[in-house]
Amino acid sequence: MPFTFPHFGSLTHVFEVVMREVGKNDLLLPKKPNRRTAELGARYSPEFICTPFKLTLGTYIEMLEEGADELGSGSCHSWCRFGYYWPVQKLILEDLGYDFKFICLDYLRPYILLRTLQKEIGNGCSLQRAIRAVRIGWIKNRLTDLVDDLLYKYRVIETEKGLSEKMAETAFKIIVETKRLRDIKKLRKQLPEFFKKNIDVQKRDNLIKVGICGELYVVYEAALNLDIHKKLNELGIVVKNTVSLRSYLDMGLKLNPFVKSPYKTAIKAAKPYIENKCGGETLENVGDIVLCKKHGRDGMVHLYPFTCMPEIITRSFIPQISQEYNLPVLSLVLDEHTGEAGFSTRIEAFADMLIRRK
Amino acid sequence: MKKRVGFPNALLFYKFSILWTTFFQELGAEIVISPKTNKIIKDLGVKFAPDEDCYSTKLYFGHTLYLKDKVDFLFIPRIGSDHEVNVGCPKFIALAEVLKSMFPDLPKIIMPFFSMAKKNHGRFKILRIIFSIGFRFTLNPFRILIAGKRAFDAQSKYDEELKFSEEELHKWENSKIFLQNLSIQEQRKTPLRIALVGHPYVINDDFSSVNIKNLLLSRGIDIITPDQMPKALIENQMEKLDYNMYFNYAREILGTTMHFIENNSIDGILQLIIFSCGPDSLIGEMSARYSSRKPGTPLLQLVLDELSSETGVLTRIEAFLDMIERKNEFRRNEENCHLHSLILDH
Ligand code: SF4
Ligand code: SF4
Repeated sequence: MPFTFPHFGSLTHVFEVVMREVGKNDLLLPKKPNRRTAELGARYSPEFICTPFKLTLGTYIEMLEEGADELGSGSCHSWCRFGYYWPVQKLILEDLGYDFKFICLDYLRPYILLRTLQKEIGNGCSLQRAIRAVRIGWIKNRLTDLVDDLLYKYRVIETEKGLSEKMAETAFKIIVETKRLRDIKKLRKQLPEFFKKNIDVQKRDNLIKVGICGELYVVYEAALNLDIHKKLNELGIVVKNTVSLRSYLDMGLKLNPFVKSPYKTAIKAAKPYIENKCGGETLENVGDIVLCKKHGRDGMVHLYPFTCMPEIITRSFIPQISQEYNLPVLSLVLDEHTGEAGFSTRIEAFADMLIRRK
Repeated sequence: MKKRVGFPNALLFYKFSILWTTFFQELGAEIVISPKTNKIIKDLGVKFAPDEDCYSTKLYFGHTLYLKDKVDFLFIPRIGSDHEVNVGCPKFIALAEVLKSMFPDLPKIIMPFFSMAKKNHGRFKILRIIFSIGFRFTLNPFRILIAGKRAFDAQSKYDEELKFSEEELHKWENSKIFLQNLSIQEQRKTPLRIALVGHPYVINDDFSSVNIKNLLLSRGIDIITPDQMPKALIENQMEKLDYNMYFNYAREILGTTMHFIENNSIDGILQLIIFSCGPDSLIGEMSARYSSRKPGTPLLQLVLDELSSETGVLTRIEAFLDMIERKNEFRRNEENCHLHSLILDH
């Protein structure tokens, strides 16, 4: 019973790790979405559903063609459509005549999440093992985020083009393959050194730094955001994702009284604008935009998929915040029709503006 | 002088108007409700609301801006959920704050926050909301309490009258009673019965629904809407799903559609979908797929946005009604044939 799940940028590795930890070794790792994936997805999707739906549906179809028959999906019970992805995708795939089973992981309800891991994916493994899997998952998620950050920095200053990307690939591999908790914890120090040692850099000071916030999938999945990170890097801008799956998954961070969670700080900073959670990452994003200067960033990019409900809300606050704090914020809506050319022009114009301001 | 409180006549106002207006009236405030959606309001909304927002929210912006200089307060509650588990649309929570942020010169907004599902808000929270609003208008706590009580009583009475009992529904499905007062009866002997499903703020807003309700009525068609359906029946349908429909207001819509698809007891289902609405994109797809799996009752889905025109919609509805007529004709003939053959057999 090959198991698969949607491709999700660097988080793909985290999902893989969690599955392997509960003993699911019959994995069919998802392919990176490409043009065909998007077309397939869009052809069978409802017209104005948010774009991640279309891409993940496309991925499922491609993986089903390759022989997968257990599909993993996230699920939630919140003010957002995400929890309906699998029911609707299930209807569509059934009508297309595929034979498969959906396994949905409700990441907002830890107990149910563990149960599903234990029973449906882990083939009846012990609860301890499921807990350990999730724990390793969030610890490794910290590492994949770290590698992302390193890549988005080194790619700007590397002397040999393309080397940091190769290094990042290797780093992800190391993260996935490291098994013992003690070794995993060591990676936190080793990974930055690994980058430092292997990549020749051309020192430049006064680098421009930009934070990227928005809806999780579009921020992480290069196939949907047209690799905006790389585009900005090539324009000489260091970027960092401000959103992360860890705001849900990282219980260690949530329970640790000595560390301040950046997500909580952001939510607090958003209070003067919007007080209550309204699905997605609205509060975190509004907060991160408010805190942009405090974090030493020169500007923010806000990405959201077409018709995304929570992020349209974030988008509505941006004019006020950017005026009050005198911030350059670029808000971009993306879908499967977004054209490369127009997109690049907007990013270049934004980069020019940042350079002039500096 | 009485303080004037403004109510944008859109979105959840269509559901809770009685509750909200009764409460403020009892408190001694002057109620100002924006008129039914018209061209001016629509243009305001389309011009000033964010481009990607759903049409209904854009209209809400229009209503709010229309009221801007006419009131001392705007009442825009932030409703997260009014059910133990299920939630509302995220836009309802953020509306007040988004409006405040985009239009700093709006009058003061009264924006109580209520979320039963995620925050466990209950009676106690309602009391706190009632008092915190009440003290802006009167210092008499009894008056506030009474206002609250009357408001809730009035709303539940209204809701009860709106709903049909299962028995009544059954009679209607069998053409024993009519729901609408069909004064303009055409030559039709038995009027067609159609379920008009969609958000209450779309169906009952003649402007945003391009007058569909009246159009159907004028053709002598008897319609039922989701908010009239017995609650138990809806819940019953929701039980059949292998997932929980957690958008509370979408339950009624999907449940109604599913009920009629399953029972095949009426002539057609007409679903109004708002372009770029989150919940609609899902329940639209679900309804379409359920209907194609059990294609007894014809289903027509109309997507509406600010560009929809009455003529465009009219043609599609005409075609839909023609199709139903033809289908019924065919069915009747078949039944007759069947009857004949039965007689001949004997
Ligand atoms: S956050 Fe936005 S894009 Fe993601 S599922 Fe929700 S509505 Fe869709
Ligand atoms: S339910 Fe749909 S139409 Fe209503 S406010 Fe939400 S997105 Fe708009």
